[in-house]
Amino acid sequence: MSSLTATRLIKMPRWNLRQREAMLFYLCIAPWIVGFFLFYLGPILASFYFSLTQWDLLTPPQFIGLDNYARVFTRDPLAVKSFKVTLVYTLAYVPTDLAFGLLLALLLNRNLRGIGVFRTIYYLPSVLSGVAYVVMWMWMFNPQHGLFNTILTYFNIQGPRWLLDPKWALPSLIVMSLWGVGRSMVIFLAGLQDIPAELYESADIDGANMWDKFWKITLPLLTPSVLFNLIFGIILTFQSFTNAFIATNGGPLDSTLFYVLYLYRKAFEHLQMGYASALAWLLFLFVLACTLVIFLTSGKWVFYRSVGE
Amino acid sequence: MKNQLRILSILVTVTLLATLLAGCAPRATPTPEVITVEKTVEVPVEKTVEVEVIKEVVVTPTPEPMAEGAKIILRVGTGDSGEGLNPHQQIIAEFEKANPDILVQLEAVAGADYYTRLLTQIAAGDAPDIMQIGDDAVPMFVSKGGFLPLDDFITGAYPLDTSIYLPGTLKPGMYQGAQYFLPKDFSTIALYYNKKIFDQFGVAYPTDDWTWDDLLKAAQELTKDTDGDGNTDIWGVQLTANWTTGFEYWVAAAGGRLISEDGTSYVGFMDSPETIAAVQFFSDLYNKHKVAPPPADFNLWAGGNPEFETGKAAMRIFGRWPQTGLRNNPNVDLGVAEAPAGAKKANVLFWGGFGIFSGSKNPEAAWRFLKFYVGAEGSETWKMHGIPPVAAVAEAAGLTTDPIEGPWIRGLDVLADRAYVATDYWGETADPALRKALETVLIDPNADVAAVMQTAAQEAQAALDEKLK
Repeated sequence: MSSLTATRLIKMPRWNLRQREAMLFYLCIAPWIVGFFLFYLGPILASFYFSLTQWDLLTPPQFIGLDNYARVFTRDPLAVKSFKVTLVYTLAYVPTDLAFGLLLALLLNRNLRGIGVFRTIYYLPSVLSGVAYVVMWMWMFNPQHGLFNTILTYFNIQGPRWLLDPKWALPSLIVMSLWGVGRSMVIFLAGLQDIPAELYESADIDGANMWDKFWKITLPLLTPSVLFNLIFGIILTFQSFTNAFIATNGGPLDSTLFYVLYLYRKAFEHLQMGYASALAWLLFLFVLACTLVIFLTSGKWVFYRSVGE
Repeated sequence: MKNQLRILSILVTVTLLATLLAGCAPRATPTPEVITVEKTVEVPVEKTVEVEVIKEVVVTPTPEPMAEGAKIILRVGTGDSGEGLNPHQQIIAEFEKANPDILVQLEAVAGADYYTRLLTQIAAGDAPDIMQIGDDAVPMFVSKGGFLPLDDFITGAYPLDTSIYLPGTLKPGMYQGAQYFLPKDFSTIALYYNKKIFDQFGVAYPTDDWTWDDLLKAAQELTKDTDGDGNTDIWGVQLTANWTTGFEYWVAAAGGRLISEDGTSYVGFMDSPETIAAVQFFSDLYNKHKVAPPPADFNLWAGGNPEFETGKAAMRIFGRWPQTGLRNNPNVDLGVAEAPAGAKKANVLFWGGFGIFSGSKNPEAAWRFLKFYVGAEGSETWKMHGIPPVAAVAEAAGLTTDPIEGPWIRGLDVLADRAYVATDYWGETADPALRKALETVLIDPNADVAAVMQTAAQEAQAALDEKLK
């Protein structure tokens, strides 16, 4: 019965290609859209209201207008500091992550026996629980008995105190996070696999070398993946929390006090829910602005291959 | 296609951002991938790491009520977890046997989530009838109206003689003159020592009348480079780096305090000569005399220094929490002495207690249980897991004269007030500044301690003034 319906559909298409594509599109994003309206919209609207109040969870919220927002900019140096720490982290991490992810993807995009094993190995860290791998890295960074400093002593080098040194703590966290480079790698890999072999073949016939092929074919056709990883990377780094929460708790001397960690402290340790909501909204607006700027400029550098048009 | 891809990316982005916002919205339960950690600054549980990824909610199986609706059901909230739940369950079982009209359900929420959960439950009017709270959270919970004053119960139909408790253990449960909580367990600060190391180098064991000079002298005698490679192998005394709460002992023993008694001033206290002397002596043990192993981390739940446990440090100044493990540790032949005196002999109290929810529908039944829980009956069970606050029970169990347990109890005789007693805002105003100051002097051996403490006092004062405005 169902196969009969299917054949009839194919014979007499009720919808044209565009419509069917649109339907498929909405079907695919339905879980997110439904989840968004069910679980996120209410809390989001509520958090905006709370951002205009002073609220400690127990006593009723008191409306104080925009004072929370004013406090961030005028009376809270730690909030500004935490924003700077996060900005530095993002500026250092995102480009490095893109470069390494792309490099790994290029290396692993070959038809070798057992290449799947290597792809798995490189991707594996990104699926590990954040807490587990942070604790492992903390052991490696341990100044007295850790892996890094033990190796350095073989070369008679006195290693830094890593997570305990305000100058080294943030770089250490960046190195730690780069362990999760497999996330962007896998996106690049998918992008690479999507590039038709004919393009490379015709380039070969025209006598192009590896370098030409990379710059003229691979990279332009990968720009959608770059765009995706760029935006994803910015959003993720601005939300980074777990690493610093476990490894340093923001220290030493607030050198790893990430914005969201500070927000968490305000909300759940100091019970300033209104202020924390204002911090969240400022972060949202900032990341939204970054994303919009990237989207608006993306027309100039992102190349989409047309399919079905 | 191009446009749809764009729309898709925009939607993905918006959803991600939305996740961020929703994560911060107060009523949404998911805090950013909450790592449930024993962040027991106060609730006296072992300080070391216990990283649990799953939020643990244990509800004891309640036997079916015999006559439906005839029994009163009480809920008890605790932040204890794992084996720490055993005494609770045991006492509950005994109470139910003795009081057939009441059923008790234990609700255990482990870790940092516990207080947040209680707060939301209190706000919704649906909190457990009896809740366990750690010392410095008392002002916050009571000032927000979460708990019932117990004074009327104490003198009421089911009276309680409060003189049964060890000295000082009732005070953390008081707020503005009224009793809101009764003590469950406590710890003071004491000096652990490893007899093996003292014997090995022929140094006399610490005594209860030690001063900081004695501590320094012994620590210097015990700090050894045994294999002659230029690195210290045995350390004199393991300390607690940037742990602010524990540092209150050092300040008190130096004769100082961190905040004025009226709770309005850090300036003149966090930067007083006494406080500066405490910070100076503490950091000198690390950087000048080099008798303390360098901090292994600056993070409360990273595990701390391992030297004492591994038999590489002769002494350790800390609370009672790891004592059970240390007694069973083959590297350590454990001795305990009272915390050494600085300019004076002083100690500080870490404390956990139970109170009754202000919205409880059965306050009298809750009181009957509370009285049993932390009274003489319950203490008979607590004494097997710690020092029970009921003096007679502790004495009968021989704990007051025990060479290991005795020093913790004697510490109660010289208690100084913790800073949170004077202000509801200690945690958000001065604690971060003190922590930063300790990190500064530990990281930089040349730091000017007086200047560092002046900066800390001013930072803390500015934050406090903002709160008091």
